[in-house]
Amino acid sequence: MPSDVPIPDLDPISLPAPVWLLKALLLLTFFLHIIPMNFALGGGFITAATEFIGRKKNSVHHLSLASSLAKMLPITIAFTITLGVAPLLFVQVLYGQFFYSSSILIAWPWFSIVVILILAYYGFYLYAFRWEKLQGSRLILVLGSAVVFAIIGFLYTNNLVLMLTPEKWSAMYFRNPHGMQLNLSDPTVIPRYLHFFTASFALAGILVSIYGMVKSKENPDYGRWGIRYGVVWFLVATLIQLGIGSWFLLSLPVHIRNLFLGGDLLATGIFLTALLCALVSLVLMVVGYVSANPAPKVISGIGFITLTVVGMVLMRDLVRDAYLDRYFDVSRFPVHSQTGVIVLFFLLFVVGLVVLGYMVRKAVAARVTV
Amino acid sequence: MNYPVWEVPVIGGGLLIGFVAILHAFVAHFAIGGSLFLVLTERKAYRENDTGILQFVKGHTRFFLLLTIVFGAVTGVGVWFTIALVHPSATSALIHIFVWGWAIEWVMFLVEITSALFYYYTWEKLDRKTHLRIGWIYFIASWLSLAVINGILAFMLTPGRWLQTRNFWDGFFNPTYVPSLVLRTVVCLALAGLYALLTTSRLEEEDLRAKLVRYAAKWLAPAFFILPLAGVWYISQIPPLARQISMGGAPAVTIFAGLSILFSVIIFSFAYFGPYKYPRYFPFPFAVMFLLMGLLVTGVTEWVREAVRKPYIVYDNMYSNAFLVSSEGQYRLGGALAHAKWVQTKEIEDANMFIAGRELFQIQCQSCHTVDGYNGIRPLLQDWPEDFIDRQLQHLETLKGFMPPFLGTEEERHALARYLSTLTRRTTESPPVRDLTSPSSSGSSQGSPNAK
Repeated sequence: MPSDVPIPDLDPISLPAPVWLLKALLLLTFFLHIIPMNFALGGGFITAATEFIGRKKNSVHHLSLASSLAKMLPITIAFTITLGVAPLLFVQVLYGQFFYSSSILIAWPWFSIVVILILAYYGFYLYAFRWEKLQGSRLILVLGSAVVFAIIGFLYTNNLVLMLTPEKWSAMYFRNPHGMQLNLSDPTVIPRYLHFFTASFALAGILVSIYGMVKSKENPDYGRWGIRYGVVWFLVATLIQLGIGSWFLLSLPVHIRNLFLGGDLLATGIFLTALLCALVSLVLMVVGYVSANPAPKVISGIGFITLTVVGMVLMRDLVRDAYLDRYFDVSRFPVHSQTGVIVLFFLLFVVGLVVLGYMVRKAVAARVTV
Repeated sequence: MNYPVWEVPVIGGGLLIGFVAILHAFVAHFAIGGSLFLVLTERKAYRENDTGILQFVKGHTRFFLLLTIVFGAVTGVGVWFTIALVHPSATSALIHIFVWGWAIEWVMFLVEITSALFYYYTWEKLDRKTHLRIGWIYFIASWLSLAVINGILAFMLTPGRWLQTRNFWDGFFNPTYVPSLVLRTVVCLALAGLYALLTTSRLEEEDLRAKLVRYAAKWLAPAFFILPLAGVWYISQIPPLARQISMGGAPAVTIFAGLSILFSVIIFSFAYFGPYKYPRYFPFPFAVMFLLMGLLVTGVTEWVREAVRKPYIVYDNMYSNAFLVSSEGQYRLGGALAHAKWVQTKEIEDANMFIAGRELFQIQCQSCHTVDGYNGIRPLLQDWPEDFIDRQLQHLETLKGFMPPFLGTEEERHALARYLSTLTRRTTESPPVRDLTSPSSSGSSQGSPNAK
C-alpha cells in the first residue's frame, strides 16, 4: 500500500457474518435497487417527452400514457429509496473506510442529495396529483424533477468512483476541507455516468412495454401501441449504449479493462455473456416490434436484458474490487458470525416477502390501479 | 483520526445532524402513531357507520402519505448520510455492531412503505376487512422498525453489558431499551393526535369537526399519563454522569430538559382545556401552534438526549471526537497526530506549532466546536493566556465533565494551546507584535503572541 495514501483502518469491530454472505446481499439488493431506479430516472424523461409529443401531435395515446406514467413515477421513487437502503448498508459494512472518506471529500454535494431528492420527489407527486389543474406548467415540473434525479445519479457516480481512487484523496482534502468539490477530473466519471444514464432509458422503455401488455386486455390497440412505443425507447437507448459502453470500457485503467478482455476468465465470461444477452434482446425486440403480436417476443427480450443487468451488476463489483485491490484485502476482516441474528433476519425477510405477496395478491385480485 | 474532518461553517457538524435528525424524528414518530390512528379511525367509521369519518380518514391518508413516505423516509436516509459525514467512525461502529439489526430494520421499512402505498391506493377498492388488515400490517411494521432502531439509539447512551461481552443482544436489549421504547411509543401516539388536530380542525361540517377534534385530542392522553413515569424510569437507567449533566451539571442542558417538560405540560393542559373540553372552538391556527410546540418538544428532547451522552458517542467506548477509550494510552504515548491519517503535520517543531495546533483542534475538538459559530471556541476562550489554556487542557475531563480528556503528547498539548491562544480576545483585539510561527495559510488568525 502506498504510504502517503490515507486509508482509514478497518473498523476494529469484527464482521458479524462471512464476507461472501454480505457480498451476496450487497449485490442482490443492489440489483433490486437499480430496477426501480432505472424506471424512475429514465421514466421521468420519457414521461416528459411523451407528454410533449402528445401535445404537439395532439395524440390521445401519448397523453394517456403520460398520465399513467405520472402516477407510476412516485411509486418507482419510493421503491428506489426503500430498496436502496439495503445496498447502502452493506456497502458500508464491507467498504466503509473507502465510502465514508470519499463522501466527506465531496460532503456538500453529497449532503445536498437529501434536500434535492425531497424536492424532486414532491415534484413527481405534484405532477401526478395535480395533473388536471396544472395543465401547461406540469411539463416543466416533471422535466425539472427528472433533471434533479439525473443530477443525483451524477453525484452518486462521482462518489462511487472517488471511493475507488484513494490516491487522489489527500490532494483533494487539503485543497478543500469544506467538502465543496466534485470528482470531475477522473476520466471515467463522465462515461460511467452516461453508461448508467442511457441504460435507464432502455429499462424505463421496458416499463412502458410492460404497461402496454397490461393494457392490452382492455384496449388491444392502445396496449400494442404502448408495447411498441416502449420498445422504441429501448432500442434507441441500447444502440446508443453500444457506443457509450465502449467509451466507458476504454476509459477504465488498462489493467482493469483487460480483465474483461481476456485477462481474467470469469470477468471476460461475464462480460461476453452480458453482451450476448443484450444483442439477443435487441434482436428479439426488433422482431417484436414488427410482428402483429409483439408481446411474446418482447417478454423474451426482457428476460435476456434482465440477464444483462445481472451481468452488469457483477461486472461493476469486479471493477470495484480491481480498483481497490492495492489497498484492501477482504480476508483481513476479522469475522465473528452472529448466527442467531442472521437466522432471525432471514426468517423475518421471508415473513416480509409473504406479507408483501399477500398485499399484491389482494390488490391484483381486486384489479387495483394507481 | 481515521477519517477526514468535514468543516461545516458556522453551525458545525453536530448541529447539522441535530437539524436533520429532529425533523426526521418529528415526522417518523408521527408516522408510527399515525398509522395506528388511521386504522383505528377507519374501524371507528365502519363501526359507527359514519361516512363523514370515513371521508376524513381517506383525506387524512393522502396528507399522511405525502408527509411520511416522502419527507419521513428521505430525512431518515438523510440522518444516515449526515452522521456518516460528521461522525464516520461512530457510524461505522454502529453499522458493524448492528449489521443484522439494520438489516431487520430494513425489512420492516420495506413492508412499512409498501403497505402504506397499498393502504393509500386501495381505499374503497378492497373489501373493508382486507383494507383494515393492510392498515394493521402498516402499523405493526412501522412500530417494529421503531423497536429495532430504538435498540441502536439507546445503545449509544447505555451500551450495558456489551462493553464486556461484545454480544449483539447485550448491546441491543440494553438498560434503557424498554423505557426508551415506551417513551417513544407514547410520543408517537401524542404526535398522531397533534397532526390529526391539524386535519380535523379544517373540516367544514361543524358536528363532525367537533367530534373528530375531541377524538384527536384523546390521543394525547396516554402520553400525559405515561410520559412522566417512563421518563423517571429512563432517567434511573442512564449513567450517573448523564443524569448529573441534565440536572444542573451543564446549565444549557438543564434548561433544555426543563423546557422539554414545560412545553409538554403546556401542550397537555391546553389540549385538555382546548380541543378536548371545547372542540367546537378549536381553530386551525391553534392546531398549527400545537404542532409547532410538538416540534419544539421533539427538538429540545432529542437535543438533551444527545447532550447527556457527552463526552461519549458510544458510552465508555468512544469519545465524542471518535477517539477510542481503549486506545487512550496509545494516543498519549505515541501522539494523536502520529495516529491521525488526515493531517499534514506528523512531527511538531517550533516552526509548525500553529499548524499542528490547528490540525489537533480539527481532530480533537471540531466534532463539537466551531471557531466562531455554534459552540464557538473563540468566545469560550475569552482572554485566557496560553499557559492557562494549557492548564485547562490538562484537566478537561475534570474541569468540564462533559468533555473528553485531551489525548496526545505534552508537545501536542502545547501546540493546541498555542493555536487556541491565537483565537482569544486579547490576540484578536490587539494584533501580535512579532510573529514567530507564521501561520501563513491560516486566513484571519494571526500568529502566536505568547511564543516564548
